[in-house]
Amino acid sequence: MSMTGSAVLFSPAHPFPRVRGKFMQFLSNQKTQIGLLILVPILVLVVLAPYLPLQKPLQTNLRAMMQWPSWTFPFGTDRMGRDVLSRTLEGVKVSLLVGFSVAFISLAFGVVLGTIAGFFGRFVDRAIMTVVDILLAFPSLLLAIGLVSIVGTGIFPVIVAIAFADVPRFVRLQRSLVLGLRTRAFIDAARTMRASKTWLLFRHIVPNTIAPLLVAASIAAANAILVEASLSFLGLGIMPPEPSLGNIIRDGQTYLEQAWWISTLPGAVILAIAISLHFLSDGIRESLDPRART
Amino acid sequence: MFAFAGKKLIQLIVTTIGVVTLVFFTLRLIPGDAASAMAGDTLSGEALERLRDQMGLNEPLMSQYLTYWRKLLVLDFGETITTGLSAGELMRAAAPITISIALATIVVTVLLAIPLGTLAAFLAHKGKKGLDSLITGAAMVLDLMPSFWTGLFFLLFFSLTLGLFPASGTVSLENPGHFLQRIALPVMVLSVTQVATMARITRTAVLEVLSEDYIRTARSLGWSELRVLFRHALKNAALPIVTVVGLSFGSLLNGTVIVEFIFNIPGIGSLLVNGINSRDYQMVQNLIIVYALIFVTINFVTDLVYRKIDPRVSF
Repeated sequence: MSMTGSAVLFSPAHPFPRVRGKFMQFLSNQKTQIGLLILVPILVLVVLAPYLPLQKPLQTNLRAMMQWPSWTFPFGTDRMGRDVLSRTLEGVKVSLLVGFSVAFISLAFGVVLGTIAGFFGRFVDRAIMTVVDILLAFPSLLLAIGLVSIVGTGIFPVIVAIAFADVPRFVRLQRSLVLGLRTRAFIDAARTMRASKTWLLFRHIVPNTIAPLLVAASIAAANAILVEASLSFLGLGIMPPEPSLGNIIRDGQTYLEQAWWISTLPGAVILAIAISLHFLSDGIRESLDPRART
Repeated sequence: MFAFAGKKLIQLIVTTIGVVTLVFFTLRLIPGDAASAMAGDTLSGEALERLRDQMGLNEPLMSQYLTYWRKLLVLDFGETITTGLSAGELMRAAAPITISIALATIVVTVLLAIPLGTLAAFLAHKGKKGLDSLITGAAMVLDLMPSFWTGLFFLLFFSLTLGLFPASGTVSLENPGHFLQRIALPVMVLSVTQVATMARITRTAVLEVLSEDYIRTARSLGWSELRVLFRHALKNAALPIVTVVGLSFGSLLNGTVIVEFIFNIPGIGSLLVNGINSRDYQMVQNLIIVYALIFVTINFVTDLVYRKIDPRVSF
């Protein structure tokens, strides 16, 4: 990792990073590799699931109810003889969809609103931040629970509810990043050279907020996956028979004593995904932000 | 300090007004209205109209809003539509249970996380990388464990297998022994996440302080490592730790909903989940507001403590 590489990224003359080089740096980071080592096998299994010799996620099998994990059923079966592994993989698909959609939506809204608040200041800033402060007064899961009670259950409403609870955090982050950049010397320099506001914004300010935003986005994805699982576990998120990691675990709760595997194994998968996303976020930070290197 | 507290108090009031207004008007966005959503297909036209009247939905929006405020200020939460019980009484019975769980968790967390985090920082500072990364690695994994998952593990192990704690039965403050037994597992579950978060923050904060000049001075005076660590390093690292205690209270409140569900605890989290399942929108509205108020009040207290520790803080 050469210092010149990172100097180029953050110097005003080259506001757009040399994406390919940065990406290689990201891939060669140790934390990234740990994250990928966990995430990639899970992704491969999810993609290959239809071709593996597994029972279909919704298929019941009354001759194999609540069976211990075995070669045929690596995660065991539930009370209706459904294959827990194949349901888990289907649930992971939902989790990832929710996680990445939420990260993307809250990132998009956060960047736009946060930039407006931070860059234009005054009245607009006040208006946006007042709303943001009010929304931040709700603990996030509780805000999502409240919203789900209005928008209903299912994948799409859950994504909307979680993203809505997340947007204020991104607005706040982006605003503070923009405020921090506004007083930096290279912005002053550009200004003395009569750079227009649009130029400053899109050429100097926004590109320099990308790295920390990506770090926050991957954490937000992990968080959204946990929140979706919590909602579905409470019976307020994604409803059976559509499998989601949360509702599989909820299903198994009743049979905890007789069949511990129904609840515990899918939970371990959630944990693994969350850990991998946190490692990836560390990887992004260490490879894109030169100051974060230790 | 006085002016500071006053300013923060005004902010608290403004936020509260915002929270109530937002929740009130968002609930009016329900397709149809709250009454027909609640009744589903069970009520006919006339009965539905009576329910609307009873809920005050036929009044103009502004007057509904003002009525809501008038009632809220005297803590009149109305009746639950489904059971006819006083919503205020249900909440008054449930709130102390949830608050006890939250406060007990904070106490356990502070007692465990601060020594652990300080220890990890000390080890890192001394170059004992192995032990330090063991503690930080464990903290990361524990931090990310979904609380419903940890909860089920604890239920399975401590309650169903070892039989140490009852998993069901009444929860009432009138029988303190039984009460503590019932809230012990929920508190343990919540503490796992909280201890992990706070230990990590403590480690970072203390580690930063340990390389300061005044720590070297303290050492050069021949004071014991323990005294330097806890009297000097920890004291100066207190600021970020206090902030985190305040901020993590939000995730703590989130967690109470989950543990109350798992362990059958009749706190406000259970009221909320039941309220949503029975489509009692007024109950949900009030509870969400109560949660937000608890959270902003804690943040207010955190701000004051922060200022008390560090008089340089100004906002």
